[in-house]
Amino acid sequence: MKARISILLAGAITISAVPAHAHHSFAAEFDGTKPVRLVGKITQVEWTNPHSYFYVDVTDAKGVTTNWGCEGAGPGALSRRGWKKGDLKLGDTIVVDGYRAKDGSHLIDARRVTFPDGRTVYGGSPGDGGPGDNGTDKGNLPGTGTPATK
Amino acid sequence: MSPLLWFTALAHSHLGRVMQTSKWGFAIVETVHLLALAILGGAVLVVDLRLLGVVLKRESTRTIGRDLSRLLLGSLVLMILSGIAMLSEETLKCYYSPAFRWKMVLLAAAVLFYFTLHRRALLNIDRGEPTLWARAAAVISLSLWLGVGVAGRAIGLL
Amino acid sequence: MPLLQHLCQLLYDSHVGTAIRESDYAFSIIESVHVLGITALVGTIALLDLRMLGLILRPISITRLARTVFPLTWSGLAVMFVSGFLLFWAEAAKNYSNPAFRVKLILLALVGLNPLIFHTTIYRRVHEWEVLAISPWRARAAAIASLTLWSGIIIAGRAIAYF
Repeated sequence: MKARISILLAGAITISAVPAHAHHSFAAEFDGTKPVRLVGKITQVEWTNPHSYFYVDVTDAKGVTTNWGCEGAGPGALSRRGWKKGDLKLGDTIVVDGYRAKDGSHLIDARRVTFPDGRTVYGGSPGDGGPGDNGTDKGNLPGTGTPATK
Repeated sequence: MSPLLWFTALAHSHLGRVMQTSKWGFAIVETVHLLALAILGGAVLVVDLRLLGVVLKRESTRTIGRDLSRLLLGSLVLMILSGIAMLSEETLKCYYSPAFRWKMVLLAAAVLFYFTLHRRALLNIDRGEPTLWARAAAVISLSLWLGVGVAGRAIGLL
Repeated sequence: MPLLQHLCQLLYDSHVGTAIRESDYAFSIIESVHVLGITALVGTIALLDLRMLGLILRPISITRLARTVFPLTWSGLAVMFVSGFLLFWAEAAKNYSNPAFRVKLILLALVGLNPLIFHTTIYRRVHEWEVLAISPWRARAAAIASLTLWSGIIIAGRAIAYF
């Protein structure tokens, strides 16, 4: 079950720098039972190998803003899914569905991004074993319940 | 059992559950896979260069083949075991992955070829000059194993 | 900023470094060459190490096998050095502070020192022991050091992604 971060984060005040961990298995770093939806303004984009990262400012119901990191696949895999480098523009508001980092930091594994024009693309890193890893938003790790949905 | 059922069963197995929840499991297993790859690759390279007549020209292909086959099979077993463990962490991803499917096909072909025609070439040449067939066997072997490696890399990149 | 870190940042920010780092294919290909190249560099020298330990190819003399293996290992080293340097170029600023990368470099220095010592000492008299099934203990020590260091380098290399 996913919950809107803005509600969960009521009271949180930190604007945290997100550690840019790389990983090569979903389970090492992310929790398949903690799906999450972020709605925020893009503050930084790293269109890099081996993983891409983009950061969004998420404001909760109380007006507190937290910076979240979203980890995605490398540029090659993303471009094969229809992303282009310039798709993520600073200041744009996007919706990111993903799974939280196990260490509790403000980092998610970005499975799906919805752009301002409504277009959605799958952003997960291939081969990481995360939910939806077959390239369509189906497929599941056992025991994680439903895949991330709108 | 259909392939999809087998893959799903692996995902739900004890091994699968351990790999899917472990923080370091995948990294450790993948490292074993890499170390075994080094040995497997070295053995394949030298055996096939001998079949091509490039190295160890006067040495017996039977001796080389026999000794290096122990290394090759030992490292292959390690790679298969570590491979199954990694597969259990991301079964459905691999099931749908064209790179994974290619890797399995090429792996089966490489192993089959190794135990049949490749072995025959090694036994026949011994200390003699490499025949056209021996050289062809070496090229096929090198190509198949290289294909397995490239497909394996592609699993994580596509 | 320390000079070395500054140099790493320059490499990272450079046109080439950025292009590799943001590439669709180049980084993946270079990295794949680096990973598969392990077979040519480590896999070949491991055969000589295992021979000195008396585990394989006993009928073949040390010098005969060395003449076979060394060109392959050097070729492998060339491939690994070029691909490794390109990967470093793309990630230099991040690598600077990465403990796994630092360990890898230290181990690489040691694994280069090992044959230097080996070739200037026990290997000078190789004709005395080249046909032995098991090589003298100093050679075996060098072989074990080689296998251990190369394993450590592979492990450290893999660990870079986790820091």
